[in-house]
Amino acid sequence: MNTVWIILAPLIGGLLYGVERIVRARMQGRKGPPLLQPFYDMFKLLDKRPLLVNPAHVLLGIMHFITLWIAVGLIITGTNLLFVIFVHLLASIFLVASGFSVRSVYSHIGANRELLTMVAYEPLLILIAAGFYLKNGYFSIELIHEGEPLLGSLWMLFGALLLVIPIKLKKSPFDAAEAHQEIVGGVEVEYSGVYFEFLYMAKWLEYIFVYLLVILFAGNSVMMAIVLVSSVFLLVNLVDNATARVRIPHLIAITLGIGLTLSILNLIGVGYGL
Amino acid sequence: MSLIALLLTLPLAGAAIILLVRAVRVRDLLAFLTVVILVALSIAQYTGGMTVRFALPHSLHTIFMAADILLLLFFLWRGMHEESRPVALLALLQLLLYLYVSGTDPQAHPFDIEVGYISRIMLLVINIVGGIIILYALEYIESEEMERMKKNGFIALLFFFLSVMNLIVTTDNLEIFFLAFELTTLLSYLLIRYRGDELARANAIRALWMNQIGGVAILAAMIISVKSYHTLSFDALLTFGSSWGVAAIAVLIIAAFVKGASLPFEKWLLGAMVAPTPVSAILHSATMVKIAPYIILKLAPAFTPFLSHTVTLFGSFVFMTASVMALGRDYFKEILGLSTVALLGLMMAMAAIDATESVQIVLVLIVFHAISKALLFLQAGILEKSFHFKYLSDFEYLYERSPMSVWMIVIGFASLTLPPFGAFWGKFFSLELLISMISQSPLYILVLVFITLGSVFLTLLYFKVLTRVLSHSTGKTEKVAIPALFRYSSYALFGLLTVGILLMSGWNGVGVFELLLPALLIFVIPLLLRWQLRSSERVGEYRCGEKDEAEIGAYYFALPEAQVRRAHYAAAALIALVLLGGML
Repeated sequence: MNTVWIILAPLIGGLLYGVERIVRARMQGRKGPPLLQPFYDMFKLLDKRPLLVNPAHVLLGIMHFITLWIAVGLIITGTNLLFVIFVHLLASIFLVASGFSVRSVYSHIGANRELLTMVAYEPLLILIAAGFYLKNGYFSIELIHEGEPLLGSLWMLFGALLLVIPIKLKKSPFDAAEAHQEIVGGVEVEYSGVYFEFLYMAKWLEYIFVYLLVILFAGNSVMMAIVLVSSVFLLVNLVDNATARVRIPHLIAITLGIGLTLSILNLIGVGYGL
Repeated sequence: MSLIALLLTLPLAGAAIILLVRAVRVRDLLAFLTVVILVALSIAQYTGGMTVRFALPHSLHTIFMAADILLLLFFLWRGMHEESRPVALLALLQLLLYLYVSGTDPQAHPFDIEVGYISRIMLLVINIVGGIIILYALEYIESEEMERMKKNGFIALLFFFLSVMNLIVTTDNLEIFFLAFELTTLLSYLLIRYRGDELARANAIRALWMNQIGGVAILAAMIISVKSYHTLSFDALLTFGSSWGVAAIAVLIIAAFVKGASLPFEKWLLGAMVAPTPVSAILHSATMVKIAPYIILKLAPAFTPFLSHTVTLFGSFVFMTASVMALGRDYFKEILGLSTVALLGLMMAMAAIDATESVQIVLVLIVFHAISKALLFLQAGILEKSFHFKYLSDFEYLYERSPMSVWMIVIGFASLTLPPFGAFWGKFFSLELLISMISQSPLYILVLVFITLGSVFLTLLYFKVLTRVLSHSTGKTEKVAIPALFRYSSYALFGLLTVGILLMSGWNGVGVFELLLPALLIFVIPLLLRWQLRSSERVGEYRCGEKDEAEIGAYYFALPEAQVRRAHYAAAALIALVLLGGML
């Protein structure tokens, strides 16, 4: 069963992206594209002439996609949460390295920003894992899914995760790493055709990755998982529509300032039974 | 016993012969043989697996004492000659303290040499990584403009260094420990000023006086020990546990901080960069600075909770601050140097936690940090010699000229942060251990935050360097040949890193799967690069219509001077707290 989910993960991510485009359009009073638009885009990309700058660049992009898929697969199979976070870090590093591997201004700025956003979210992800360990005494995702919902005792860490999600999904106000109007998509700019497809699918996998982190807080309650995912989904898109992009230094200051405070308070609370 | 005796004397013999040989090829062959035997001996000692204890003959003690006094007189002379007041005063102070100690009569001391598990691992690191660096140095020093005698002297000093390091990690006698500690100070002084120019001399003097503070600390510990317990045995000191014992331990911790170039003292290690690159390589990886976590590891069982907490807090603070400080640097070796300071902080922080897991974590960090840093410094030397690159801003078209150096730098940095490399697992289990300790003291939350932030800053630092090395366009290649010894020594270290991944399996329940998966992901890239994707058309980068080629720089984040000063004060305050903890 797990294998099926793992294989389907990019497709589900694609559907989620399709739903999101519709939801976002409705929020703006538009009709929006058809649900399967992301897949139509994919087929169109396949038709394009394959162009590349250098093989290492393409290869690192493909490795980003594969590693991200593996990170998602590891969450689904229920391994060690902290390990998954580091495999995800490896995936992000591949993306950054690919951005640096071409002599392109936009790609470099994008990769730099990507790296700087890591400063903002990586500590928070590790502290979230710390919270689960402190509560349960293990990092095992499988056991977290079998246990009681932990949203009640880890709600501040959940708040920290809410700060991370827009960064990972490139949503306003934290989408400076991609910033289409400004740096032409950043890391993505030098990819085209079939090679861009990998980066495009990797974005769908990021959706799956963050929402799998969200449902960790629901423990064994399916009901709660559904409620959490859909409300976070709506909230993130609402915020995306309602806010303007902030600069990278502000992004780091806001996420680390609020996120670290929340995490530390939560860890003290859990560690000392307050 | 004979293995240890050989490990101590063989490098000395090698050094002596190399000084006499004139032909380069004979010298290289002799050095190679010595290194091979040293590696074999350290492996044999490790697999032997027994704790070895024995006393040295009495005549040797007299020689040691004479050596100590000569050494301190030499420091005094250097201080007067170079007109450095701190060097002269500290040498004088040490001389007085030493004469006082040698006047007292400790009861018979049973073992001078004691080789346990920790020492065996240290011997492996010193001889294998140190040996590879010496082989690299054979090629490196030939391209310097010096007399033959001075070149051979350089190699001889490096061998001497290995011998002294072998002594420092095997002795249980504080008096011998002091001698070996001072000898490393002397050797680092001589090696740093090897090029003899103004800057080299100034930096060498700074290294000398800073390290002498460590010497004073050890002498203070010796006086306390001999006055209160009539012994100079390390082990015995650890078992007393009364207030004087704690005081002696607190003073020894200071010696570790100095050797580890921790925050207020980091300048001596950064200054060491002016020396020929093999010196930095050997100081940062196999020798010298590794004394710091070694001392803490040895002392940790006798720490009071207060000392343990303060040292852990100090270490994690240094880890974070040094990582941030490195972000503003442009000199490649300086970046590597500050990351050493940071990682030593992490090692000391973990070593101070008295838990069974922590010993293993620190040893893994010591071993893999040594290999990775040696690999990186070797590349720094290659860049300097083959391309005349020293600063990040110089690095241009490196990938086109030497893809091998680029991938070695990438692997070197990746091995310090990413799975499946040993250093990653060291950090991984450090985090796990700290999280599980949170319920014992809220202080560990702060330590945890420092360490997570520090790790992220270090990742940022390493991959910032990649900005400068990875970028390349299609088509242009103008390969530059790298000398054979440079290549083989890099391959050897790379091989050690790879073998190290396998050794991780089973540690703390790390599965083969968790190792192989990331390993596959990382190592598949160089292999797949052979696949040139010929069917796709090559294009230039998107320039938004501009005709000129873009110049690409790396970002910098310079910590304001006032902040650095504040960080130094904070570190000094924590050190004062350690001393205070020893007094109470």
